[in-house]
Amino acid sequence: MKLNELTITEARKRLDAGDITSVDLTKACLDEIKNLNPQLNAFIEIYEADALEQAKRSDERHAKSECYGALDGIPLGLKDNLLHQGKETTSGSKILQGHISAYDSTVVRKLKEQGAVILGRTNMDEFAMGSSTEHSCYGPTKNPRDLERVPGGSSGGSAAAVAAEMCLGALGSDTGGSIRQPAALCGTIGLKPTYGRVSRFGLMAMASSLDQIGPFARTVEDAAIMLEALQGADPLDQTTADVEPFVPKWKKDLSGVRIGLPRQAWGAGMHAGVRRAVEQGIDVLKSRGAEIKEVELPYAEESLAAYYVIMPCEVSANLERFDGMRFGQRVKGEPLFETYAKTRALNFGPEARRRILLGTYALSRGYYEAYYLQAKRVQTLIRRAYADAFEDVDILVTPTAPNPAFRLGEKTTDPLTMYLEDVFTVGVNVAGLPAVSVPCGLADGLPVGMQLIGRHFDEAGILAAAKVYSDSR
Amino acid sequence: MILTRDEVRRLADLARLDLSEEELAMVEQDLDKILGYVARLKKVETEGVEPFTMPARTEWRPDVELPCDHAAREIILSNFPERVGDLLKTPGVFDKPKGSKA
Repeated sequence: MKLNELTITEARKRLDAGDITSVDLTKACLDEIKNLNPQLNAFIEIYEADALEQAKRSDERHAKSECYGALDGIPLGLKDNLLHQGKETTSGSKILQGHISAYDSTVVRKLKEQGAVILGRTNMDEFAMGSSTEHSCYGPTKNPRDLERVPGGSSGGSAAAVAAEMCLGALGSDTGGSIRQPAALCGTIGLKPTYGRVSRFGLMAMASSLDQIGPFARTVEDAAIMLEALQGADPLDQTTADVEPFVPKWKKDLSGVRIGLPRQAWGAGMHAGVRRAVEQGIDVLKSRGAEIKEVELPYAEESLAAYYVIMPCEVSANLERFDGMRFGQRVKGEPLFETYAKTRALNFGPEARRRILLGTYALSRGYYEAYYLQAKRVQTLIRRAYADAFEDVDILVTPTAPNPAFRLGEKTTDPLTMYLEDVFTVGVNVAGLPAVSVPCGLADGLPVGMQLIGRHFDEAGILAAAKVYSDSR
Repeated sequence: MILTRDEVRRLADLARLDLSEEELAMVEQDLDKILGYVARLKKVETEGVEPFTMPARTEWRPDVELPCDHAAREIILSNFPERVGDLLKTPGVFDKPKGSKA
């Protein structure tokens, strides 16, 4: 077995035992990146010298028995929207070419404090807008399972890097499914924590009330290790919550666990192979002792509609800062207005422009009430619907995405068909809940993800069930 | 069409996006489809329902002068699209508008 194929858990044991070094582990990952990245385009920049230096320091700490934490010496990937001091960080956008992070995001600071090795930055849809990683100024990332297909998005680079064993884990961000959907399409674990669990300080904002940072990993246990390292209230992000820290609570089986199936949310238009794979997954949950029941979860379609109003409104505000003045690209025009308008038109891709215009419309005088305020009222109803469902069950299960990985270019011409890929994932962001996608078999030979949704801050519950499921397969 | 071309042009102006007629036409079509989809929100009965607001901690940081991180300062300066020494250079705000006579 090559070292880059290890899980974080196995690598930790072998590093602690002195069987392997972080330098060897890091070199194995860098070799695999060199082998596969020319085809996959998962990483857009590799920090070879820095990574080897960090690995060397980790080995020196080990020699002195000064291990910093569970991630000490573990090579990871970082999505291109997480600030990393001194490194170029661009959110996959032309407008930020050459932009260097002035400071570390809280999650990068935590990774450094843990002694993790950061291998490089991974590809993404521009400003995290997309479900296929085709909307990147660096070109698309390919799915490691089939190079003619997309890896999902927006964190497609991180998902592909973990699935292709270029790194042991990676960070992504999830606003409407951007961790869970690519995890499903690439066949890895992807966890979106509860809104407020992980600090967003230094995450380039897409839709601030929905964004959350989380891990990609090859096992549920590894995702838990990463969440433990990333979590925590942060004075620099006032939306982080003062709650009990997440601690894994693994279970032997699922007796006493009530799992709800919001069947009406499954709807039509789902790939038959995806439905079959997830139903088989549910049978496994049942065989391990879970009580399975159908539950009501109204507003499934309205969730997607509310999301596609609230998100672009926040996007249009958050992306105002990219005006060519203080950082990023500047295209000069006369007068000042033209400098703004040319800089933005020439450097934002079509999806970013579309969402900016949609948000501008929904927030403009005369439409604000009908679109934005109505969507925020519907959001209240959606949150109540989830709260009601969680009166009767502990976990909700759905497919993560309605289809397995689609072909490159298949959904880029019609934005609405791309948006419909998010139908199972956006509700979780609108309600601020935690959810994990676990691989559950294949459809047409391609990976399928099963989504487990939990109550606010019950990451331990969904991860325990996900682990029982994964261990039973 | 939900939006007219003039309305799309007005939105592009508000959003500071200098789009060609061809790009405006594309946006018009895309927004039509998307707005058609989100129209289902209007059918939801929301009489008496409060719009959701995210609970956030409300304490503010003290408004005090903080020491400047030298490394961060240098990077911020290096990110300026144009600079004169340590100053950010920008186009003039009060330059005469396009088409006006001198």
